[in-house]
Amino acid sequence: MSNLAQNVAKLARIDLPDAKAEAVQENLEKVLNYVQQLEAVELPDDIEPFFGAIESVNAIRVDELQPSYPREEILSNAPDSDGQFYKVPSVFDE
Amino acid sequence: MQIEQLSVAELVEHIGKGDLSAAQCTEHFLGQIRDKNDDNGAFLAQCDQEAADAAKQIDASIAAGKSLGPLAGLPVAVKDGICTAGVTTTAGSKMLSKFVPPYDATIVSRLKDAGAIVIGKTNMDEFAMGSSNENSAFHPAKNPWNHDHVPGGSSGGSATAVAARMAPVAIGSDTGGSIRQPASFCGITGLKPTYGRVSRYGLIAFASSLDQIGPMTRSAEDCALVMQTLAGHDKKDSTSAPVDVADYMAALNKPLAGLKIGICKQHFEEGLGDEVRAKVNEAIDVLKSLGASTAEIELPYTQYGIAAYYVIAPCEASSNLSRFDGVRYTNRAAAEGLEEMYSKTRAEFFGEEVKKRILLGTHALSSGYYDAYYLKASKVRRMIKNDYDKAFESVDLILGPTVPTTAFKFNQHAADPLAMYLADVYTVAANLSGVPALSIPCGFDSAGLPIGLQLQARRFDEATLLQTAHQYQTQTDWHQRSPQS
Amino acid sequence: MNQTLETTPAQRDAVTDADVTLIVGLEVHVQLDTQSKLFCNCSTAYGADANTQTCPVCTGMPGTLPVINERALELAIKTGLALNCKIANYTKWDRKNYFYPDLPKGYQISQFDKPICGEGHLTISDAKAAFETRDIQIERAHLEEDAGKSIHDETGAKKPSKIDLNRTGTPLLEIVTKPDLRSAEEAKAFLTELKLILTYIDVSDCNMQEGSLRCDGNVNLHINVDGQKIATPIVEVKNLNSFRAAERAIAYEAARQLRVWKKDGLGIADAPKQTRGWDDANQKTTKSREKEDAADYRYFPDPDLIAVETTDQEINAIAATIEYLPAKLRTELMEDYSLEAYDTEVIVSQGIGVVKYYKTVADFLTKSASGLKSPGKTASNWVAQEVLRYLNEQNCEIGDYPVSGGQLGELLGRIAKGDFDQTRGKDVLAQMLENGANLEAAVEKLGIKTVDAGEVEALCQQIIEENQGVIEQIKGGKVQAVGSLIGKAKKLNPNINPNLVKETILKQIGI
Repeated sequence: MSNLAQNVAKLARIDLPDAKAEAVQENLEKVLNYVQQLEAVELPDDIEPFFGAIESVNAIRVDELQPSYPREEILSNAPDSDGQFYKVPSVFDE
Repeated sequence: MQIEQLSVAELVEHIGKGDLSAAQCTEHFLGQIRDKNDDNGAFLAQCDQEAADAAKQIDASIAAGKSLGPLAGLPVAVKDGICTAGVTTTAGSKMLSKFVPPYDATIVSRLKDAGAIVIGKTNMDEFAMGSSNENSAFHPAKNPWNHDHVPGGSSGGSATAVAARMAPVAIGSDTGGSIRQPASFCGITGLKPTYGRVSRYGLIAFASSLDQIGPMTRSAEDCALVMQTLAGHDKKDSTSAPVDVADYMAALNKPLAGLKIGICKQHFEEGLGDEVRAKVNEAIDVLKSLGASTAEIELPYTQYGIAAYYVIAPCEASSNLSRFDGVRYTNRAAAEGLEEMYSKTRAEFFGEEVKKRILLGTHALSSGYYDAYYLKASKVRRMIKNDYDKAFESVDLILGPTVPTTAFKFNQHAADPLAMYLADVYTVAANLSGVPALSIPCGFDSAGLPIGLQLQARRFDEATLLQTAHQYQTQTDWHQRSPQS
Repeated sequence: MNQTLETTPAQRDAVTDADVTLIVGLEVHVQLDTQSKLFCNCSTAYGADANTQTCPVCTGMPGTLPVINERALELAIKTGLALNCKIANYTKWDRKNYFYPDLPKGYQISQFDKPICGEGHLTISDAKAAFETRDIQIERAHLEEDAGKSIHDETGAKKPSKIDLNRTGTPLLEIVTKPDLRSAEEAKAFLTELKLILTYIDVSDCNMQEGSLRCDGNVNLHINVDGQKIATPIVEVKNLNSFRAAERAIAYEAARQLRVWKKDGLGIADAPKQTRGWDDANQKTTKSREKEDAADYRYFPDPDLIAVETTDQEINAIAATIEYLPAKLRTELMEDYSLEAYDTEVIVSQGIGVVKYYKTVADFLTKSASGLKSPGKTASNWVAQEVLRYLNEQNCEIGDYPVSGGQLGELLGRIAKGDFDQTRGKDVLAQMLENGANLEAAVEKLGIKTVDAGEVEALCQQIIEENQGVIEQIKGGKVQAVGSLIGKAKKLNPNINPNLVKETILKQIGI
């Protein structure tokens, strides 16, 4: 798993310069080695995973409109916008 | 009257009667912040104008004889990971250094509706990832009992604020111990409610299935008063529980006779500091003297709690933090194209610990690893929950130390981050299983640093936690001690 | 996957169309017709100014949380039932993680392993054999949130892209078929029938221009080489924005894959799944510019949402809201109204409004003109020709048609009775459309009155005298020449019944 840090960083969209990759890799491995103890934990065959601390069901809402937020308010936090759209650097960078 | 030493009930009573105006009270605590914040860094922002305006309104209501909310005029500090409309909310991250939410978190609305006044936003580890406040992107908060020591984390600023009397109440959030551990380190009372008891709407998510907002106060009584306002179902949060809220204040004064307290041997084994052990044992004796009995219980799978936690929390975090991408409300790094913008923005504005956990979670969820990490950890999580369910068949509470040690020094764990993770060893299981847990001060070590006692109860039985803590506090005065600074 | 069979260029050259089977599976995204978005209360209406239908939830602001729209669930279940799907009593939500600027949270809330609708099927008429049907198997249908819209600079100048999040969070049902379709025509037939069903059960407006119905196709070939099957690499073709585009793109892709395979011989195991987009302007598929390597979506259960349980009783209640399905109506029109398959299709394909209109006309006619040989057919002729032409010309819906089914039925009844002929009847209809729908007023306005028998006799007499040449032709056996005389009669008196003219003339000249 030598390229683990770089592959994962790419997937997570976090720039990882080569110079730092090794240190990050080492750091990740420390934690991964620790959590690897889970592998050895013996569990009953039929055990269901527990994904959330609440196991009730059916939190649903009625289909009704509420006013949207004013556009200025929504866009006011954007790092770049023309007052109508969010703007992002060209998607088609090579 | 020494305003900063008054309890929540006293403050509200004085303000309601008019012998202390909300404006005076607010200004007093804002003054405390101004005086102390340069030294202890508890706050990231102060809401002078908003608080003054709100206080004026409360005073006007009082003058007009209008009926008041249960917390009318009470100054409250809110962790900066909780959204406040019109007030910058950073979650301790440079990523959000300019983010001004257009909305209030549900608990902020509830507090305001009850008459409470938000006086400032408290410091925290970035995105609540950390146990020392050293991961705040701005500056760390310091332990008021000794500034060389950490206040704990991630709600370190909230704990410092309450301990240093800069706010009578602070709101924190707890994902693996982030309310209880700093409460323990700073000698205050901190409650992590049952998962689903308090709305998460407006809490900037770290790990959604573990996060829970809770009060941090000096006493259990203060805690109960504030909890009464925070608790309750919220239709904006699908994971909020449609369960009736108990009358916490009414529960406080019930005697402890007949209460069965479970003691888990694991919590007293290697790693536990001697002074902490001794004080926790003394606390057990106090509770016994009040009529409680103890029984040994077992929580065998909680030994894997930290491992499961450090899979589940990073997995959820890696996804939760994807939205910080430089498009809508974060800072943005200069870049030519979109992909470069993403990766530069996230590299530049996330701190190292946050990046590390995102990478961990991304790896653990990636193709081919899901079963070994996330799924296995979630199965272990089921076993931990089962352990608790079984234990609570025979006992009403589980008691132990909150943290194995007292507050450590800054940089103490720089070389070994895993050692820092182990500070959560007694606290994570409550988040994994969803049970409520509380930390109260139960003494000091020889260096004068506070020691915390953790109580855990059945789901939705915050009342028993608060009752027990309050009864304990009728016999002890640890919670009344103030730090010098 | 097994190793692809090695083939020689000669073997590949020898392959003919008969050796090639086209394998197509479709993924159809349907916007469900809810008022508000899937997880917040913002409007789903199309066409608003950019970023005016958003809120903290659908822009993914920190701290916000989703809450499921009940109506979206109902519509998804309703659709599943119409597609004969097994409806899940337990369904949950998962996150599909990927970065794109119009995906605010950095993940899409979708359903991974517990979709709301399980296996089902949709019946289409078989492209290969008329009047035969074929069941296309449906793999699943799941609910998910739509993304926003990115407007890219296409000039090549790499100007910033613009992002509009109005569409973000609109409920989508993704319907996934098994790789069951065997031709481009069949894919088109599937989509046509699917759209018809969706409009009949009123779950979506299916407006493809507005993106309410979007389609991607997975296409590859199974090629028989000396008795061994070779599968070509699967290509996902995106951007099939119309049924015609879907049909052409699939046909193009099939031909392209065969051409490529004949050149390189690569099979499914030799190449990763490719994504290509349909370029409608140039009528070809092109390789997508999106990167292929990062397609690791890291699905996991969304911890912000809890599962939904639906009882059989609740599912049955939703089933009861499905009043009409096209297949059932086809049977009804053919059996109860004696329509041919073609005429049935003309009516049924227009949607439930036209079907109901047609039935009103036909029922009225059946009652009022009992002597008529085939009231169903007469009604269908008028509806298919007159009514649909009007709707087309005026670009309006059946609900806007000024003449009610009952009124049209009445008009047809009068024609059947012989009060006036078809041509005159069309004049009456035109009059009704133009000046309000009252039949009597229209008849009066046109001056139509019944021509009495004596008048007819006299008029025919006159025509016979004036057209001796034609009469000779008729007598010489060219009976159809009488048609020109009818025309002349109608010029003299537009209200005259042409059949009566024909009868009278023939009688008067002794034929």
